[in-house]
Amino acid sequence: MAAAALDNANPTILSASQLPTRQKRSAPRNGPDCRYSDLIFAKPSYLSRPFLQDDDIRYQDDTAAAVPWSRLGAGSGAADEDRLSAEPIDEQEIYDLISNITDPEHPVSLGQLSVVNLPDIHITPSPALGVPSPNTIVHVTVELTPTVTHCSLATVLGLGVRVRLEQVLPPNYRVEVICKENSHSQDDQVNKQLSDKERVAAALENDSLRSVLDKMLESCIEN
Amino acid sequence: MASSSSANVVPLQSLKPDLHERAWASIPHPSLPLIATAHGKNVTVFSLSTLSFHSALADGHARSVRSVAWKPGLPPHELCLVTGSFDSSAGVWRWAKGGDGDDDGGDDLGQDMTRSAADGDSARAGGDWDFNLVLEGHDSEIKGCAFSPSGTYLATCSRDKSIWIWEDIASAESEDDWETIAVLNEHEGDVKAVAWCPDVPGRNSVGRRYYSVDVLASASYDNTARIWREDSDGEWVCVAVLEGHQGTVWGVEWEPRPKEDAFPRLMTFSADGTIRVWTLQQEEDSAVADGSAMPQGLGGIPSTMRRSFKEEWKCTAVLPKVHDKDVYSASWSAASGLVASTGSDGAIALYKEDSDGVTEPQAGSEDNDPNDAPGSTHDDQTAGGPQWRLLTTVPNAHGPYEINHITWCKRYDAGSTRRGEEEMLVTTGDDGVVQSWQVDIASP
Repeated sequence: MAAAALDNANPTILSASQLPTRQKRSAPRNGPDCRYSDLIFAKPSYLSRPFLQDDDIRYQDDTAAAVPWSRLGAGSGAADEDRLSAEPIDEQEIYDLISNITDPEHPVSLGQLSVVNLPDIHITPSPALGVPSPNTIVHVTVELTPTVTHCSLATVLGLGVRVRLEQVLPPNYRVEVICKENSHSQDDQVNKQLSDKERVAAALENDSLRSVLDKMLESCIEN
Repeated sequence: MASSSSANVVPLQSLKPDLHERAWASIPHPSLPLIATAHGKNVTVFSLSTLSFHSALADGHARSVRSVAWKPGLPPHELCLVTGSFDSSAGVWRWAKGGDGDDDGGDDLGQDMTRSAADGDSARAGGDWDFNLVLEGHDSEIKGCAFSPSGTYLATCSRDKSIWIWEDIASAESEDDWETIAVLNEHEGDVKAVAWCPDVPGRNSVGRRYYSVDVLASASYDNTARIWREDSDGEWVCVAVLEGHQGTVWGVEWEPRPKEDAFPRLMTFSADGTIRVWTLQQEEDSAVADGSAMPQGLGGIPSTMRRSFKEEWKCTAVLPKVHDKDVYSASWSAASGLVASTGSDGAIALYKEDSDGVTEPQAGSEDNDPNDAPGSTHDDQTAGGPQWRLLTTVPNAHGPYEINHITWCKRYDAGSTRRGEEEMLVTTGDDGVVQSWQVDIASP
């Protein structure tokens, strides 16, 4: 990938101290992956009770098994609510999840290259409104600024960002990755590809693309 | 005047077991109580009698299976399933009955096949799936596959922008010998889905002078849908381009049972969040041929015949907007005429077409160009066409997950009082859940 001619041989690189961070870091954690695993791997509450008919004795075992999973459902405990409401996912958090992605051409991060910028991350409904319910669809829009206007890697960059966020965000978060207006000569084409779920799914099964993406995302996991 | 029926969509139960990975689509068998779900690199077939596992098609594809199609018209003891995969190939699978079943009567075989494996005397005694043949030719992911109503043709479509039409020319049903009879290349983007016009009387009412009976529709990443027919020289040609959607057209669905033997209408659903209904303009004289819109390759046809080769399809309705982003799937019931849709917002929506006195007088004036109607500003909005009403919506039908597919199918489970007649909805989601829903319509 980083072969003969780089699309941008001499990009502007910010040092780590110039990147946006929270004033005060929250308690250290092993990595963002762990944080949402409860949400990600939780069996949704709707799979348990209401779908079972009274005459469906056979599935009662399933119901019993499903109870431990129902923590996020209507009847979840107050402790869980508190834990969740402590901190909604905000723009800075999204930024932290993706700014460490390594550029496929340069050994520096997308944050350092200013491909991802904090003001270009938008969340609706706003995290200021508190923690959304597990079924509220939250739209996260990330506008990318590719390093050069003709950058052929814009699609790969966008794919990396989308994949990273979809891996770690809860299932009610919908990720949209677009090129910042006028930042790229083929905006519409790239945006359309990145929003096509079927194309994204197929791309992830492409071995060569997958290895490029894995390399880009390595730096996020290690952190 | 307008009937004010209300509707309730109530969850029944999910088909067991959960698949625990993204499932793309669940396709009911045309006549047997079976439904096939594409998920990961595999297909799981569920029994609609027990709403549980029947059999699995595994180890056939190197990448995800995106679509499946049952071959119609087979005797009840034979099953044939085609899988379309991201590995660029389509697979032809046939059900092979178990070793001790050879001297069973035909009726028994039919029973065995639809019985869930767990239900049988011993699991798998009923048989298993054989991966009979790989159909190769597409350059990239196959997104859709569909059999023509008679089972004669199979259409596959791909990211390579092409549609291939295949015919099984083997002398015996069990021997697979498939031949490519056409490659259609006119779409300018991925072809997302294909669907054949159902075999209803209205299908024969238009165009039979120039075309054979089968009609194929396709949906594409290029924001259009297209209609394809086979001319008298055996060439498959594009007879109409349906333009209007502002985003990828995810799929096409034919009207399963048109009224008064009209030619079936076509429903398209898109990433632009809308669902449109298109009607073939049947009046012979009103269509003015536009030579520039002729399908390619017809240069030798005398100009007096040319206009016949293009069909005029008009958008005659846009369903009430519910989904704010992609509509991934919509299904049109043959029994009730109701339409159900779903998409990335995880909601189910149910629509009804008003067919009472309000719209009856317009039946006679359908030939008028609806675009001439006063006050009509959009070329796709019709003032006089039949109108659709939203009956109900179910938000978060799979919790927070996206829903990739919705279909009507017959109920065969013990909970139904009219097994084999009553209809239910089945949704398939990113959560790997295949969920059945009871639909109650209360008419006053």
